[in-house]
Amino acid sequence: MTRLLVRARRLAVYRTAIDALSASPWLRALVVAVVPVLWVLVTNLAPLVQMVAISLLDRYPLPPGETAAWTTRHYRAFVERPLYLNAFTRSFVFATLVTALTLAVMFPVAYYLSKAAPRSWRVRLILLVVAPFWTSEIIRSFAWILMLANRGAVNSALMWLGLSDAPVEMLYSRFSLAVGVIYLSSLYMLLPLYAALEKIDDRLLEAAADLGARPLTRLRRIVLPLARDGIVVGCTLVFLLAVGLYAMPQLLGGPGDTLFAATIGQVFGRAGDSWPLGSAFSIILILAALGWVGLFAALVGRGGRRRVVR
Amino acid sequence: MSARSPLLTLWFWLFVAFLFAPLAVMAAMGFRDSGFVAFPIQKWTTRWYADALADRDYRVALWVSVQVAVWSTLLSMAVGVPTAFAVARLRGVVRAAAVAVVVLPAFLPIVVSAIALRMFLGRLGMEPGLSAIAFGHAVGSVPFVVVMLLTRLNAMSPSLAEAARNLGADEAIVLSRIVLPFLSPALFGAFLFCILLSFEDFMRSFFLGGFDQTFPVLLFARLRFGFNPGLAAISAVVLAATMLLGLHAERFLRRRGIDR
Repeated sequence: MTRLLVRARRLAVYRTAIDALSASPWLRALVVAVVPVLWVLVTNLAPLVQMVAISLLDRYPLPPGETAAWTTRHYRAFVERPLYLNAFTRSFVFATLVTALTLAVMFPVAYYLSKAAPRSWRVRLILLVVAPFWTSEIIRSFAWILMLANRGAVNSALMWLGLSDAPVEMLYSRFSLAVGVIYLSSLYMLLPLYAALEKIDDRLLEAAADLGARPLTRLRRIVLPLARDGIVVGCTLVFLLAVGLYAMPQLLGGPGDTLFAATIGQVFGRAGDSWPLGSAFSIILILAALGWVGLFAALVGRGGRRRVVR
Repeated sequence: MSARSPLLTLWFWLFVAFLFAPLAVMAAMGFRDSGFVAFPIQKWTTRWYADALADRDYRVALWVSVQVAVWSTLLSMAVGVPTAFAVARLRGVVRAAAVAVVVLPAFLPIVVSAIALRMFLGRLGMEPGLSAIAFGHAVGSVPFVVVMLLTRLNAMSPSLAEAARNLGADEAIVLSRIVLPFLSPALFGAFLFCILLSFEDFMRSFFLGGFDQTFPVLLFARLRFGFNPGLAAISAVVLAATMLLGLHAERFLRRRGIDR
C-alpha cells in the first residue's frame, strides 16, 4: 500500500492534489466533511422534515399536477378520537412502568458486575450476559411464547412440581409483554449503569462504612447520586425502545392492548389518504417521547445534585 | 465485599438463567417429535432441524438477510468513517451539535424513522426492496459506527500524525500507515457490529422491504400463522450463528482500551 502511494507521488496530478491537502487544513476539512454532511442531510434530517410537511397536508401522496391544502386536522384527530388517545396513553404508561421495572432488575446486576464480582471474571461475565442480545426481537419473542404458553415450559414445570393443577394463563397479556420487553431492553440499562458504577471509587464506600454509614445509607447517599448519569442514560434508552415497540406487542401482548406504535403502523397500512394522519401521529410520538425523557433527565439530574450538595 | 454479596450473586445468576432459559427451551423444542409446540417433550427427533435447514423459504430469506447485511455494512462504514473523522475535528458546542445530529436516528422510535425513510425514498423514486432495506439499515448503523470510532480516535495522540508529517509523509500515507492501523480494532468491531445489527433488524426490513423478506420478517409472518417445532429449530440455528459472531465482535471491541 505504502509502496503504491510512494509510486503515485511521481504523478504530477496526485502530487498537486495531495500537497494542496497537506498544506491547507481548510481543504482537508472540506474533503472530510462532504460525505457526512450529505448523509446527515439526506438520511437524518430530510425524511423528518418531509414527514412534518406531510403531516400538515390535506392529503398525500398527490396525483401529478394537483396541490394539497395545509391543515392541522390530523393533529386535531389525535385529540378528538379516544381510540388514538387511549393507545397513546397506554403506551406511555406501559413504557414508563417497564422502564422502572428494568431499572429495578438491572441495578443489582450492574452493581454485582461492577463492584462485587471477582475482578478477573468481570470481562467473561459481561460477555456471557451480552451474548443473548445478538438475536432478533422476533426470535426472542418466540422464545418467550414457548416459555409462557399454557403448555409452555413454565406451566409444565409448575404442574410437574405440583404447584398448580391447571395451566396459569400468562401469555398474551401485559405480563407476558412486560417480561418480553425487559428481556429485550435489559442490556440498554445494564451497560450505562455498569459504566457509571464502575467509575465510583471503592474507597468512598469504605470511608462511608468506616464512618458508620449502613449499607442502605451508602446506597442512597453515595452510590445512587454518583450513578445518576448511568440511570438517566439507561432509562432514556429503555423508554425510547419500549415506547416504539411494534412487533413484540403483536406477538406477546394481549388482543385489547394496542400500543401507539402499532396504531401508527396500522394507520400507514390503511388504504386511502392515511399518510398525513400517520405522519402527524409519528411527530406526536417523537415530540412526546423526547419531551418525557427530557423532563425525566432534568428532574433526576437536579434531584441528584441537591442530594450531593446537602 | 459487603454482607449482601451472596444475595447479589444469587440475583445475578438468576438473571443469567432468565436470559438463557428461554433460548435453551427454544432449542429443545426443535427436537420435539410432534407437530405441536408443547411441553413436556417425551419423544425426540432431529427431523425438524434437518427440515429447517433444507427449507427453501428459509434459505432464500437468510440469503436476503446476508446480502442486506453486507451491503448495509459497507455503506455504514463508507459513511461512518469519514463522519467520525469530521466530528473529531470539531470542538465545543459545534461538536456536541454535530454528534446530536449524527446519532439522531438511534434516538427515534424505529417505527417512525423506518416509515419516514420509506416515504422519503418513495419520493426519490427508490422502490421498497433489497436496496431500500440495506439503505435503511445503514441509517440505523452509522450512529454506532461513529460513536465507536470516535471513542478510539479520542484515544489517539495528535502527535503521531504530526510526527509522520514531519518525517515527510503526505496525507494519504498518514491515513494508510498511521490512522487506519490505529483504528483497526474499532473498525473490525464496528464492521461486525453493523452486520449483526442488520441481521437482527425487523422493523426497517418490514417497512422498507417489498417482496424481499429478510429472515426476521419471514419468521414474523410464519409466527402469525401458528407454531411448530420447525420454527424453534431454525430460530435456534440462527441464534447460535449470531451469538458466535457477536462474541467475536465483542472481542474486537474489548481491545479498544488496550495499547493506548
